[in-house]
Amino acid sequence: MEGARRSYGLQSPGSRGVAGAKRYGMVIDLRKCIGCMSCAVACKAEFGIPLGSWRTWVKVVDKGRYPDTRRIFMPRLCNHCDYPVCVRNCPTQATYKHKDGFVLQRYNRCIGCRTCMVACPYNARHMLPEKRTDNNLPHMIVDKCTFCVHRVKKGLVPSCVQACVGGARIFGDMNDRESEVAKLASKERLTVLKPELGTSPSVSYIGGDWEIMDEPHSYTNRSAQLKEEFNDYKRNHEGDTFADIIEGEPTMPQIGGHAIGFLKTVPHKAGDVLKAFKIFLFG
Amino acid sequence: MEESVVTFNVFHHVAWGTAISVYFWLVGASAGSFVISSFGWVFGIKRYKPLALTASVTAILMLLIVPVLLTWDLGKPVRFIYLLIPGFWHATGPMAWGTLLICSYPMAMIVYTYFVIKNDQFWARATGIVAIVLALSTHWYTGVVMELNPGRFLNHTALAPLLFLTGAFISGIGLLILILTIQNLFSKAANRIDWDLFIEMAQYMMYGLAFDAFLLFLEFMQSTYGSMNIVLGHEEVLMGVFKFPYFWLEIVIGLVIPFIILVSPLKRNLYAVVVASFMVCIGVYGMRVWWVMGGQYLQSFY
Amino acid sequence: MSGFLRRSVLKMGAAGAAAATVTPAITQAMELKLGGDDFHQIRTFQAREKSSYLCNMCPYFDGGFTYSEKGDILKCEGDPHHIATRGKFCTKGLASLFGVTDPDRILAPLKRVGARGEGKWKEISWDEAIAEVGAKVSESISNPDSIHMNEGAFKDGAAKRFMDTIGSKSLLRSRAKSIGNKSKQMALKNMMGEEFIFPDLENSRYLLNFGCNIFETAMPLAQRLSDSIVNNKLTMITFDVRMSNTAGRSDEWLAIFPGSDGIIALAMANTIMQEGLADTEFIDTWTNYSSSELAESLAEFTLEKAAKASGLAAKTIKNIAVEFAHVKPAAVFSMNGVSLHKNGIDAEAACQLLAVITGNVEKRGGNCLPRSYNLAAPTPTPPDVDGGKLNLNYSFPFEVKEGDRKVSVLFNHMSNPAYSSPAASVWKEVLKNEKLVPYIVDFSPFMSETAEFADLILPDVVSVERFDVGSAPTSAWPWVTVSKPGNKPRGKAQDVRETLKKIIATVDNDGSREMKKYWSFSSSKDWVKKEIKSTPELKKYYKKIRRGSWPKYGKIDTLTRKITNKKGDAVKAKYGSHLEDGFPTQTGKIEIPELNWSANERHADLQKNEFILTSFKVAYHSLSRTTNLKLLAELYHSNPLWINKEIAKEIGVKDNGLVRVTSEAGYMVTKAWITQGIHPQVVGISTSVGRSSYGRVAIADREHRASWADEGQIDADIDYNLWWKDKGTNPNDIIPIALDPESGSQIWNDTVVTVMPAKPGDKYGDIKVDNTMHMAIYKKMLEGV
Ligand SMILES: Nc1nc2c(c(=O)[nH]1)N[C@H]1C(S)=C(S)[C@@H](COP(=O)(O)OP(=O)(O)OC[C@H]3O[C@@H](n4cnc5c(=O)[nH]c(N)nc54)[C@H](O)[C@@H]3O)O[C@H]1N2
Ligand SMILES: Nc1nc2c(c(=O)[nH]1)N[C@H]1C(S)=C(S)[C@@H](COP(=O)(O)OP(=O)(O)OC[C@H]3O[C@@H](n4cnc5c(=O)[nH]c(N)nc54)[C@H](O)[C@@H]3O)O[C@H]1N2
Ligand code: SF4
Ligand code: SF4
Ligand code: SF4
Ligand code: SF4
Ligand code: SF4
Ligand SMILES: [Mo]
Repeated sequence: MEGARRSYGLQSPGSRGVAGAKRYGMVIDLRKCIGCMSCAVACKAEFGIPLGSWRTWVKVVDKGRYPDTRRIFMPRLCNHCDYPVCVRNCPTQATYKHKDGFVLQRYNRCIGCRTCMVACPYNARHMLPEKRTDNNLPHMIVDKCTFCVHRVKKGLVPSCVQACVGGARIFGDMNDRESEVAKLASKERLTVLKPELGTSPSVSYIGGDWEIMDEPHSYTNRSAQLKEEFNDYKRNHEGDTFADIIEGEPTMPQIGGHAIGFLKTVPHKAGDVLKAFKIFLFG
Repeated sequence: MEESVVTFNVFHHVAWGTAISVYFWLVGASAGSFVISSFGWVFGIKRYKPLALTASVTAILMLLIVPVLLTWDLGKPVRFIYLLIPGFWHATGPMAWGTLLICSYPMAMIVYTYFVIKNDQFWARATGIVAIVLALSTHWYTGVVMELNPGRFLNHTALAPLLFLTGAFISGIGLLILILTIQNLFSKAANRIDWDLFIEMAQYMMYGLAFDAFLLFLEFMQSTYGSMNIVLGHEEVLMGVFKFPYFWLEIVIGLVIPFIILVSPLKRNLYAVVVASFMVCIGVYGMRVWWVMGGQYLQSFY
Repeated sequence: MSGFLRRSVLKMGAAGAAAATVTPAITQAMELKLGGDDFHQIRTFQAREKSSYLCNMCPYFDGGFTYSEKGDILKCEGDPHHIATRGKFCTKGLASLFGVTDPDRILAPLKRVGARGEGKWKEISWDEAIAEVGAKVSESISNPDSIHMNEGAFKDGAAKRFMDTIGSKSLLRSRAKSIGNKSKQMALKNMMGEEFIFPDLENSRYLLNFGCNIFETAMPLAQRLSDSIVNNKLTMITFDVRMSNTAGRSDEWLAIFPGSDGIIALAMANTIMQEGLADTEFIDTWTNYSSSELAESLAEFTLEKAAKASGLAAKTIKNIAVEFAHVKPAAVFSMNGVSLHKNGIDAEAACQLLAVITGNVEKRGGNCLPRSYNLAAPTPTPPDVDGGKLNLNYSFPFEVKEGDRKVSVLFNHMSNPAYSSPAASVWKEVLKNEKLVPYIVDFSPFMSETAEFADLILPDVVSVERFDVGSAPTSAWPWVTVSKPGNKPRGKAQDVRETLKKIIATVDNDGSREMKKYWSFSSSKDWVKKEIKSTPELKKYYKKIRRGSWPKYGKIDTLTRKITNKKGDAVKAKYGSHLEDGFPTQTGKIEIPELNWSANERHADLQKNEFILTSFKVAYHSLSRTTNLKLLAELYHSNPLWINKEIAKEIGVKDNGLVRVTSEAGYMVTKAWITQGIHPQVVGISTSVGRSSYGRVAIADREHRASWADEGQIDADIDYNLWWKDKGTNPNDIIPIALDPESGSQIWNDTVVTVMPAKPGDKYGDIKVDNTMHMAIYKKMLEGV
């Protein structure tokens, strides 16, 4: 995965294997993931992530024919790619690749254009809604997993790793040969998501199964419940600047609806604009 | 495959929606109109000079809506200013370039229009050349901003800018024909644009349609031999949820029917040409819709 | 380029501080700690205050911490150095702090003003409330048994003390006091001398799991199991009627016919004896049977019988038996799937027998006697009036309706029978009836389905606000953990022990009833201190214990996840306690009961549309106490009926289509989930959702405003971002009462229902029950005894 050292824009070059550099990464051992979703809840609690957004989550696939069946869990999060498309495409340098492997977001620079969301092949980014429990925290900008840089800096593992009941999430410096991640990475069979895209993820999996890792599969083989839930989500979750198409309903009226939704953002954004003016004029 | 079901996953929003698709359409129509405007003053085709002013004003107006729309679509509209701060400017982000283009292109058009009104051939031509390059670039960029997302299989194609430019060309002409028709209705006989010009423009549009069809065919062909994602993109997304904008709007209404009108004897009929122009305009909007949302839609289940 | 990069990284402002301070090098530390500290994620990494916390959301009692800033709890997590918890909390524990800020939380005593159950409340002062309850209790004190207490807490110390103080025998419970259910506990107590047997999964190499959904309901065991799957190459065989997360992750999921675990276990035991794979020496020395006697009594339980009853191939059962007997150490675990059947007590013993005959008892990696501390009640204790019996509450509403039970006052604490008991509709009817139950007091901090019928709600504190101490047999070493509130009780919420103390003080205001002396603790904190000080093994260590968890066995090793001593070696557990003390039975030996197995006759000849209904727990909820926690409800809020794909096709049920599920007492309309992961003669529905009460999150309606919640109680996140609309359905209205005659446990997994596509006019969530049918079933059940 070292490959060519491409580096564009604010991407630090991939630090994997570079002497003296750190390359934080996560190995997710799917043999140990028990689908408890503690990781997802711990992460949401850590950052007060609002309902309807996730920095990490666990996908579930049921496969097989009765009685020969199996359930597969696959935790997902930002891959902290070595060649992150999101970083490359950000127009304001709001997101960047730190040389130790983290792909980070500068909230005070982000303009909420969502280019990075479009660019990320892994759905790892989300827009923070207008309303949050603690409205002093950022809103209406894009957010993503930080690999818990605030904890790692203090010598703690990320929150999801801390909480992982199955012990499936292992985090550390891939360049440190004594670290557990490095050991696992060298002796186990690893896979990453969408390797063909050339992103070179820092999150890799032991014991992956194509049925859960494959993108087209997740599109075609969704359960009927999941489809219905998705539509509920699209209908009821603050998505007014978005473009969620509801399955089974004609598209054009929906797009009309989005236009109306777009207009509905006028009040709160106008509020933002006025506030900015006020600050500009009166300090 | 059949007995393997995703039973739980979280949900993701599609990031860019209606505002972006309208913006793509506006930029396209603007660029298209501007090309026509430049025929007379830049390329020296005299008979186009009378409509140059209308065309460039149309182009300017279309483009003035754009910054407002885009700014409003930002999560933090006030921070649009960050896009203009040199220290924040990020060379690898297509949008950083797009911002420059969207700012400079209307200015070049305005200067050009000023000289058109002044009837200053030299400066109109000079500024026109700059403006036409910017017009094409601005629209080329909209293709690029979608193309440079390797994860969005439907958009990640080198043909994207070309598809966008072709769409711009035909929708620009279509829009101009509509506007000129209205203008003719309200002008004195002496000031009316010559009917032959309409027919001629419509023929350009017809060639544009043919080229567009060719590009679409290339895309289609590649998709059938492509990865599962793109096959799905065509079969399930474009012919599924996005069937209306893709198949009905873009292909049937925006391509096949106008093409038939414009190659048949109807091409000399004023009403038919106006109808065809209208269809092309909304057809191109259909393309903007699926192009922006389709690729994201497919992936939002991952 | 890199100069530019460095500069732009450094330049960012306040919110970006997270990144700024990490440049250029993130840490010097080679190894990252697994927890035990916490910092704010943005605000200059401010360290948070830590306080010890014992999670109370399920009987596994994990020890951990709450972290707070300026008195607001912002996070919970497991204590990494806790011998049992090892840093891990499940979703319920992690999310428990959201109970504090639930916008629908009850924050002051509420008095009913409208009709019962109408939902009209008036806030009153604590003094008024206590005076009122005190008067009601005093009125009935001459007939103390008419004062009832329905208790659902695992630790019922205060409720029991209250009832003993007033001399009432009417303490009822909606659940067992510790891990398991009453049938299982009885079976184990009789056989092994303890109510729980701890599988030492950390060291096992083979696990036979009968009807326990370990990965969803037994988290401290789950983390060890998960480690062993990789580290010890543990083989895991799960018998279950549906593919739970545990079954789906097992090496083999054996989909069996409900209630057949007992005969499978007996046939396996028989095979093991016959193949000569049993540990005869252990049997001869440590059980009431000799190995030959045992072989003889097992002989009738043939593989063929087991195959017939379970639907498995005889060969499969045999192979597993042989493999299990060969691999050592091996463990056997079982839970509600086994014991909540008609033959539950026998079946539980049969499963345990497998560990016994292979000698996997009190051995490293085998089935061990529980290691935990029994906390004593603070002294002085009032005389025990009911002999410490565990009386389950399931027949309460029937007895009241029949006039067999006279109620003057009903207290309810941490229990929600109108939602979680069988025949919940009968509970609702009885609770609504002021003639049958004249006065109801509920201590719930949330408006549960039961609290809705109260005359007075005296809000208790929530788990993270409570002083507590507990111990559970969740590791090979005993431990005790103290819980200290991470924040002050919100609003006017008050710990139930203090409330009860005040009630007693009113009832015995002049001291003539001699009640006050039992309530001499000054606060709930003092109560906990007294609990520890009254426990002989612990009282010396009070000073150490009160800091958090005790004993401290060592620190967690980040690589192996084992607790290690100062030298870095994994701490060693003691096994083989029976070698010194024998087993804690009367005889000191394992008392294998008479071996028995019988099928539920009702399950023979099920018609095409008839199924056995299993209602199960999911990892993300704890019965009815977590549905208001937004992060959990977001994860899990809908509970479609699981149905096998083939059968669904046969009976015309469509995926996500509406179905009508009919029991003897009535029907409900819900959605179907068509799956390959369930036995064709079983349908399954999960518990915990389908709430009709419990606040806006639980009922998935962000517009709903509780009349008691004041304007200030908002969580903008809930009010704007709650996106799901499906709140699920609760099966308990249609599940008729069916009690095990010996233990009194509801045999949840034996219910028979018919399933068919919904009829025209049926709406999702419709429930229609006939309480007279429930009554008739109850009477029939009594006659059957
Ligand atoms: N997440 C969570 N954990 C909990 C609780 C909670 O509410 N939520 N509650 C705690 C309490 S009070 C209890 S009692 C325990 C219960 O813990 P468990 O017993 O593990 O949980 P249940 O879901 O009641 O039942 C377990 C399994 O039995 C299966 N089953 C049903 N019938 C049969 C059968 O005939 N044979 C076999 N082999 N399996 C069968 C069901 O499909 C289900 O998967 O969990 C405790 N832990
Ligand atoms: N269909 C079906 N039903 C079942 C089961 C099943 O498998 N299937 N399982 C059964 C089992 S094993 C059990 S153990 C029972 C459990 O059933 P219950 O013992 O009734 O327990 P919960 O439903 O958890 O109810 C707890 C109630 O306590 C209140 N509460 C919550 N937190 C607090 C607090 O901090 N303080 C106070 N004072 N009150 C609080 C809330 O009102 C909450 O509703 O359910 C049983 N019900
Ligand atoms: S996973 Fe997505 S958001 Fe994360 S670094 Fe890669 S491209 Fe960026
Ligand atoms: S949303 Fe923010 S981080 Fe993402 S591309 Fe736009 S400015 Fe950059
Ligand atoms: S590393 Fe931190 S931010 Fe990323 S998923 Fe885990 S807990 Fe969330
Ligand atoms: S916490 Fe660990 S075991 Fe649980 S779902 Fe997440 S990754 Fe899997
Ligand atoms: S398993 Fe979960 S709910 Fe039970 S005690 Fe542990 S953290 Fe709490
Ligand atoms: Mo239970």
